[in-house]
Amino acid sequence: MAVPFLAIQLGASVGLILAVTWLAHKLALGNDVRLRDDAEARALAEAAICGFHPRELALDRAGIAALVRGADGRVMLLRRHGAQFAARLLDSHANTRLDRNFLTIGTGERFYAPVTLDLGDQAQVWAASLRRLAN
Amino acid sequence: MPKLGPVEYAIPFFILAIIAEMLWSKRRRPDAYEPRDTLTSLALGTGSTAVGGLTAALVVAAMVWLYDHRVATIGFAWWAWIVCFVLDDFNYYWAHRTGHRVRWFWASHVNHHSSQHYNLSTALRQTWTGFFALSFVFRIWPAFVGFNPAMLLTCGAINLVYQFWIHTEAIRRMPRWFEAMMNTPSHHRVHHATNPQYLDRNYAGVFIVWDKLFGSFAGERDDTRIHYGIVKQLGSFNLVWSVFHEWIGIARDVLSAPWRHKLAYLWREPGWSHDDSREGSDKIRARWEALQRDPPIQAD
Repeated sequence: MAVPFLAIQLGASVGLILAVTWLAHKLALGNDVRLRDDAEARALAEAAICGFHPRELALDRAGIAALVRGADGRVMLLRRHGAQFAARLLDSHANTRLDRNFLTIGTGERFYAPVTLDLGDQAQVWAASLRRLAN
Repeated sequence: MPKLGPVEYAIPFFILAIIAEMLWSKRRRPDAYEPRDTLTSLALGTGSTAVGGLTAALVVAAMVWLYDHRVATIGFAWWAWIVCFVLDDFNYYWAHRTGHRVRWFWASHVNHHSSQHYNLSTALRQTWTGFFALSFVFRIWPAFVGFNPAMLLTCGAINLVYQFWIHTEAIRRMPRWFEAMMNTPSHHRVHHATNPQYLDRNYAGVFIVWDKLFGSFAGERDDTRIHYGIVKQLGSFNLVWSVFHEWIGIARDVLSAPWRHKLAYLWREPGWSHDDSREGSDKIRARWEALQRDPPIQAD
């Protein structure tokens, strides 16, 4: 008897999960969060790694990501993850591609998806500087 | 139909409370929820319940075995319930503290912390691998002392249900006397924070007094914006990765480490590495404290 009851419980739970997720979507919660300005990107970069002091910053025009260079030369990618931002320090340019004003950056991590930043005329400057990272 | 416990009876309340918090979020904090994050958290909760249902018999069997070899018989007197609840909460504190300070246990518990959101759905974001990690051993030993397994299971379930409501940003502070004794949304926000000064603080389940007694308490400061999640944020809503990422990390480290360091990747704290190339919470906090004492001079 215990196993069928567990199956019913599981089925009901899946139904409830989908209903609650649908409601969150319908209420537009966590909808289309963007980086407002450089100051917000700097604050998030400082919060992501204690002791990281942003010196240079390039903000994607749509505000979905940013590249931040620290005072110690380390480069951080801030990428939107749902309604939050997840950071990674870049240690290689192997997953970097430049296409005019668009710079696509990956970290090689399977579950941290690459992101394409529209950096305008800063894209080439940053692409050149990222080449200094190891391959 | 199997007999329902406190957790099963609380599920409708959980769902209603999440919906109420979503409506609050819509008006006051639209970014407090994110549908994919909610889906991941609730799927983790459901999976945890399913795995728990399949392994519960083994945990109960271990409890019953201990009870069969008990040194005393405590029975079901009213005072025994109180003692059992307090003792179970004490055990929870140490299980939870170990869950943060020993990577083997952290690999299981990290699931509960990997959301960058802090809402009632986060409360249901529970591990699938708790049984495999043997986390239950911290909670079953009172059966050997003489506490009935049914009493222990009931106290554990009430403890779990209590902890649901503290996963919210909608409640700022409870009355002072309550904040002094009990675990609250304010205390538990600190526990889920990645801010260096808050890392590995406030392990309590129900009574915050354990943290005050054992030196792991930190009060929430109103002038500090809390960032939630883990030190290296997942950056993914993939359910399977969310469940197993730390176990996979342990496996990779154990395989690649020199022989004499392999086991240390299981029992040392998260962030430890044999070549000192990584940082755990102690190092991060130490750097933060150094920066507070001696802030860097801004070049620009």
